[in-house]
Amino acid sequence: MSTGALGQTARIGLFAAAALLIAVLPRFVSDFRASELAYVAIFTIAILGLNVLTGYTGQISLGHGAFMTIGGYTTAVLVVDHGVRDLWTIPLAGLVAGAAGFLFGVPALRLSGLYLALATFGVAVALPAVVRKAEGLTGGSRGLQLFGLDSYTGKGFEPVEVLGRSLSFNDWLYYLSWTIAGVLFVLAWLVLRGETGRAFRALRDSEVAAASSGVNPAAYKTLAFSLSALYAGVAGSLYALASTFVTPGTFPVTLSLTLLIGAVVAGLGSLWGVLAGAVFVQFLPVWIDRLSGVEAAPDWVQRVSKEPGIPSVIYGAALIFLLLLLPGGVGGLVQRLGGLTRGR
Amino acid sequence: MAEFLQQVVSGLSSGGIYAGLALAISLIYRATGVINFAQGEMAMFTTYIAWALTEHHGWSYWPAVAFTLLAAFVGGVAVERLIVRPVQGVSVLAVVIVTLGIFVLLNGLATAIWGGAQQSFPPGRPFPVRSFDVGGVVFSLQDILTVATSLALVACLFGFFRFTKAGLGMRAAAFNPAASRLVGVRVGWMIAGGWGLAAVLGAVAGLLAASSLGSFDPNLMRPVLLYAFAAAVLGGLDSPLGAVVGGLVLGVALNLLGTYVDFIGADLRLPSALAIILVVLLVRPAGLLGRASVGRV
Amino acid sequence: MTNPRVLALALAAALTLGLAAGAHGESTASRADPGVTATSVLIGGTTPLSGEASSGSLTARGAEAYFKHVNARGGVHRRKITYRYLDDGYEPARTVQAIRQLVQQDGVFAIFNSLGTAHNLAVRPYLNQVGVPHLFVASGATTWGKEFRRYPWTIGFIPTYTAEGIIYGRYIRKTSPRARIAVLFQDDEYGKDLVAGLKRGLGSAGARQIAAQQGYDPASTDIQSEIARLKASRATVLMVFAFGKFAIQAFTYVDRLGWKPKIFVNAVAASASVLTIASQQGKNKRVEGAISIAFFKDPADPSFAKDAGYKLYRSIMKRYLPSANVKDGYYLAGMASAHAFVQTLQKAGRNLTRKAVQTAAARLDDRKNPFVLPGVRVKTSSSDHYPLEQAQLERWRKGRWVRFGGLVSAPRA
Repeated sequence: MSTGALGQTARIGLFAAAALLIAVLPRFVSDFRASELAYVAIFTIAILGLNVLTGYTGQISLGHGAFMTIGGYTTAVLVVDHGVRDLWTIPLAGLVAGAAGFLFGVPALRLSGLYLALATFGVAVALPAVVRKAEGLTGGSRGLQLFGLDSYTGKGFEPVEVLGRSLSFNDWLYYLSWTIAGVLFVLAWLVLRGETGRAFRALRDSEVAAASSGVNPAAYKTLAFSLSALYAGVAGSLYALASTFVTPGTFPVTLSLTLLIGAVVAGLGSLWGVLAGAVFVQFLPVWIDRLSGVEAAPDWVQRVSKEPGIPSVIYGAALIFLLLLLPGGVGGLVQRLGGLTRGR
Repeated sequence: MAEFLQQVVSGLSSGGIYAGLALAISLIYRATGVINFAQGEMAMFTTYIAWALTEHHGWSYWPAVAFTLLAAFVGGVAVERLIVRPVQGVSVLAVVIVTLGIFVLLNGLATAIWGGAQQSFPPGRPFPVRSFDVGGVVFSLQDILTVATSLALVACLFGFFRFTKAGLGMRAAAFNPAASRLVGVRVGWMIAGGWGLAAVLGAVAGLLAASSLGSFDPNLMRPVLLYAFAAAVLGGLDSPLGAVVGGLVLGVALNLLGTYVDFIGADLRLPSALAIILVVLLVRPAGLLGRASVGRV
Repeated sequence: MTNPRVLALALAAALTLGLAAGAHGESTASRADPGVTATSVLIGGTTPLSGEASSGSLTARGAEAYFKHVNARGGVHRRKITYRYLDDGYEPARTVQAIRQLVQQDGVFAIFNSLGTAHNLAVRPYLNQVGVPHLFVASGATTWGKEFRRYPWTIGFIPTYTAEGIIYGRYIRKTSPRARIAVLFQDDEYGKDLVAGLKRGLGSAGARQIAAQQGYDPASTDIQSEIARLKASRATVLMVFAFGKFAIQAFTYVDRLGWKPKIFVNAVAASASVLTIASQQGKNKRVEGAISIAFFKDPADPSFAKDAGYKLYRSIMKRYLPSANVKDGYYLAGMASAHAFVQTLQKAGRNLTRKAVQTAAARLDDRKNPFVLPGVRVKTSSSDHYPLEQAQLERWRKGRWVRFGGLVSAPRA
């Protein structure tokens, strides 16, 4: 586990430092970069939830994008069709997704390991079709457009007034996402530190042993599912707000896979690693895309990186490489380094 | 009535495609306990190899197929030894992610090498194009032979696992690696061999699908993957015969549901497949023909 | 022991500090439009380099090649055009991010040739809000032209899918008014537009000719079931409003099931390579006589061999994309759009501003686009925001498309 290496005060200090860094970062980067970093926050939230589920209770979900879909559509439908102020829809989206997570989590108790992975994969693949079919509610393939609506803070382009300061829309997205990410991070930390966390870890190590020491596996596993779904729902809600236009294609199957990739790159069970995972999934495609614009790169690299299919080749190869080098993810790496310094 | 039967027949035809890939998936699961998400892309990639040999290098069809099957075997072994083995010990999830990486890589690689446009094999490859009309219901020879091939492969697998030393070794390695090592089974190579075999099955599945559908592109197997999983689960993940039967049953069931249940129509076919997966896993996890217990202990 | 309150306090403090120090002010608005210098103009767009629609990205490469050709001849008003296209993986959420990058980070002058209906719908309000020309959208949805008043910065290019459907409907009404029609369509806005157009073209009397219509999910593996259902309607005409592999499947299954309807196939799916594959080296007789429409010159059509536009296309391909498949119509389609864009820049004048380009785009009248069919005009006006509105019917005969009947107008839908 990654939580052992530092003392409590050190960890709070680390957190405060990170919070400060995140808070002042927009000053040093471009406006557009702030919007990219907002996506990092959104992925952080979703991966956080997934990491808790998979890293702490060992339940594999290949379908967490589905909970993002639920959260995202909750927000979009409420904002577009019912004029609800977008901020209020964020916790609502989380709750709706959390409820869905609970409903799924109960039957999921009977599935384990790869069977759960299969079932959740199925959910990820099948949900867009259901969303399209439920046209009356979701707008189907026509989509829901948030841009310019009064209930949409900033309307997609306008500056937003916060605490007497005027934030550009991108900065608003940034602070909104990171504030929520920070809060949810702390929440996860507290939950994992406490009795629930101990129960989770006990379940992961041995369900039988945990049950015999009084931990109710069903209750905690379902709780983990609901909690992680709630996180994904909140992330989905923010993702919808960042995307301004929501269609079934906004939350494709690849999103579920992206989240899982982020969780593994983070290192299962590592809270801080989640940041690395989020940065990886957000920025790797961007960096690949920008390869062709890098002046320093040789001519053939610039040309080839724009061929159809090449971005996927690079992404797949990078992923495989990363996992071969760091099978335990970033969190695993940190743990190993921590082990080294302690002279084991 | 004729329409009903025709839907059943087309269901068997689609099901034949699901069955091919399901067979490969179930083999890897049986031999190594892993679900290979890249199975479809590996199948697609080997199909392209066969095609490139015939189209660009002037090989004739059957030699190209033979070479492709060999290449598939080697490829499967290589993937297992070089990419999957190193992460196998870490966690189930690491293996899943690595196969996802292979999925993305192969899909992009095929597009990059051969382009994203539709391609096809010459007509009559591998099976002659002929249809029979029986009382208003049309069967195609292609579909019959596709299903027959899958069943033949099941029979071969059965014989292989039951009667050959390598096959027994693979079963032992899967069932109890530690004990197998003690009696001299080279567990590592058995597992790699399992991947190689599965890749061969996948290659066959890809070739059959490409011929049945009339054309192929790098995304040939992407839509098939979920249906293949559903078929394998339905039939029993550890039963090759179950994979084929599951595929056929699934194909027919989805067709009939889609045709006669208005609500489902063409839109909800995927969710129906998912529903089938869920119901089977919850009610009878071993599937129609499987035997093993589900999940880890 | 961690005190949650301390934690919360730390968080709040950091946040307030950050807000005070870190937030951006308003970005400095430049007086000159971004992306333009005396010698260059930077434009951007999105295209699916990865994912299921990656063939579509070839239009971007074709356009890029054309721009290089123009640049080699001095550019437009002495400005060289740089076309930066980003990969959105055919996902609208990524399109939004990519467009934001192009506009906010890269400072492009205009957005050009972005592919996908939902993808462009996602960014249209934003681009119109900021006032970025959103030109020659690579999608046949009707909304680009229809909502021009609301979104004056956005303009499409190719004839709309609805218009195409109308052409088929009118033709059937004229030539086979008693035929029973079955319709296979992709179950999304693209397919539905074609069906709507067909019904309009058939008119109220003709609409009764439609005996069955069957949508399919583009995520499915095969459409055997759908074709079987349509066959059961005993229709004598089949409309194939599908995409790529599904169009091929339609021909394949129709043949296998022994059904012999007259087949219409929509333009996007009707490239020569698709039909060639479907015909299975002549064994599939259902392909012979299939009807579609064309508005661009088909590089696989030998009748264009001596055509000046075609020769230009070949020379550009040879020079800038030597290893590409010349017969692939996507490249040419990209060049056609690029040509229109160059005309627009030309018309906007030496003093290049976004507003000038917007005005020019609504006042096009070009009869000399070398890549569209002879006689087709690229024309827009204050009441007409559909640049291409003409097409010609074509019939598949012995391995190639043969156009017939002269130009028909693809009515504004």
